Amino acid sequence: MSTLSTGTTLNTGTTLNAAAVLKASDGHQARALRAFRATPFTYATLIVVSSILFVPFILLVSIALSSDATVNQNAFTIIPQEFHFENFVRVFTTDLPMGRFLVNSVIIATFSAVGQVLSSSLVGYAFARMRAPGKNVVFMIVLATMMIPAQITMIPQFILFKELGWVNTFLPLIIPNFFSNAFNIFLIRQFVSRLSGEIDEAGMIDGLGFFGIFRRITLPMMFPVLVAIGIFTLTASWGDFMGPLIYISDESKMPLALGVQYITSTGQALQAPPWNLVMVGSILLTLPMIAIYYLGQKYLYEMNITGGSAGVK
Amino acid sequence: MAQALAEPAGTPATRAPRARGRRPRLTKRRKQEARLFYLFISPWIIGFVVFLFGPMIASIYFSLTDWDSFTAPAFVGVANYIRLLTNDPIFWKSLGNTFYYAAVSVPLSMGIGLWLANLLNKRVRFRKLFRTVIYLPILVPIVATALIFKMVLAPTTGPLNRFLAVFGITGPAWLLDPNSVKPAIILLSVWGAGGATVLLLAAMKGIPTEFYEAAEIDGAGPIRQFWSITFPQVTPIIFFNLIMGLIGSFQVFAQVYILTQGGPNNASQMMVPLLFQEAFSFYHMGYASAISWMLFVAILMLTLIAFKTARKWVFYENEVAH
Repeated sequence: MSTLSTGTTLNTGTTLNAAAVLKASDGHQARALRAFRATPFTYATLIVVSSILFVPFILLVSIALSSDATVNQNAFTIIPQEFHFENFVRVFTTDLPMGRFLVNSVIIATFSAVGQVLSSSLVGYAFARMRAPGKNVVFMIVLATMMIPAQITMIPQFILFKELGWVNTFLPLIIPNFFSNAFNIFLIRQFVSRLSGEIDEAGMIDGLGFFGIFRRITLPMMFPVLVAIGIFTLTASWGDFMGPLIYISDESKMPLALGVQYITSTGQALQAPPWNLVMVGSILLTLPMIAIYYLGQKYLYEMNITGGSAGVK
Repeated sequence: MAQALAEPAGTPATRAPRARGRRPRLTKRRKQEARLFYLFISPWIIGFVVFLFGPMIASIYFSLTDWDSFTAPAFVGVANYIRLLTNDPIFWKSLGNTFYYAAVSVPLSMGIGLWLANLLNKRVRFRKLFRTVIYLPILVPIVATALIFKMVLAPTTGPLNRFLAVFGITGPAWLLDPNSVKPAIILLSVWGAGGATVLLLAAMKGIPTEFYEAAEIDGAGPIRQFWSITFPQVTPIIFFNLIMGLIGSFQVFAQVYILTQGGPNNASQMMVPLLFQEAFSFYHMGYASAISWMLFVAILMLTLIAFKTARKWVFYENEVAH
């Protein structure tokens, strides 16, 4: 085992294991020990830090609810004092293509997540359950690819997509996800390795081939890890800024993450950007991420992948 | 078959002696399984060749050329690298800025994250509420974070300088001042310190209570207990976050692009924004490719150094057990 794989092994394993522990031992009682005694100082610190961390959120809402005149004069307050809820309607009705941005983001993120779940589950399953000469070497290469920063391939990929005529379409942002990703393959391999093989065996006796076992037996059992991968891909794709910045120049094709920023940069020549509407856009960008995390956290904690069996054997 | 399915990792020990010397002949069934395996992993293989390995080779070639992506590339050998290393003060400045950013923001976020995790590990009421508020900034997409911080850091109207003014301090112009622009971008990253907190807290919950009971009997105070029990036990998580944080901070892009475009006077120029500018604003594809390889080398070196030092301070339970 190389240094690289040792590190990946132990650390990724430990982290995911930790998430499982959080679920398992959330309610311990026997801790009247001094190390766990909460003093007034503990509370004071937590309250002050939480408040400071929360200020940007309050400011975000306050500016989003301010009138045009208020933001133009920079007269907004940190605590909201005016409540122009119509700003949330205006972003969809005025000349701002915020609705278009939102739809674009949903399309790109959904297709990316579907592609990643389909391809990574197939590849991860094969690494966990099938035997072939050279498999371990290939898996080492999979792990090693995690070391390559995306910036190395950024320019050649741009040239490739330009030659294909895909610039200014969603394809460069979606299609690579249909070819799986090393980290997701690793997660699925670990997850499937821990599942009992007895059901597979039963399936094989009943005449199922590997694809049948994958589709009928393993895929349903993989549900928690697939949700986790779906969440990772959705959030990464939804928040991605550099990808759209490179590939999308047409305003009507921009996803929200790029579109919101684009509004602030185009206003400059004629007038100050409409900061209240920009902040509404930022809220629209943020809320789905909070919702997805809230709905999916159960599955994130469910993938209790232990460190013991991780890595190349 | 049952044996094989129970041991998915392959190469069971029982087969090893027979395999020595000559390659074991695959049965028809095993051959079919191997073919199917490579069919199953074909999405990865295609993706690897088309989107990673091919582009990597192309990138090495591009980095040896002078190319605007419209006309034919002109081979210039290692001239791009020589110019980067000997004759490009902006590259060195952005390399220095990136180091500065990584060296301050990663340990600072980690320290705050650890400190908060230790507080939340105590028997506090409303733990879930505190944990949620501390974690919430992580869920905000980086574009939204940058846009919010543009307002937070505004010189006269921003809440930060208004807060400082309460104490009679005139805050700096943050993003507009070369001296305060890097601390401003670091501040933005520290807002997300809660990401480490959640993982560390989970790890702290897994530490056996007996350790603390024993320490209590021995008369160790809470601070001593933290450094002698809690901290060593969570070092693997700290190490993992450190590596990820270092790699991530070297690739910082969106906040710099949105907030400062590298300015003022390149005081906040960093590796990836510089690379992006060379490639997509100036169409210096060859030069930008060379920068991407310098970035790779920088990340690789930092990761290797981190792994080398890990032996000295990262504590793995299974090393003690044997």
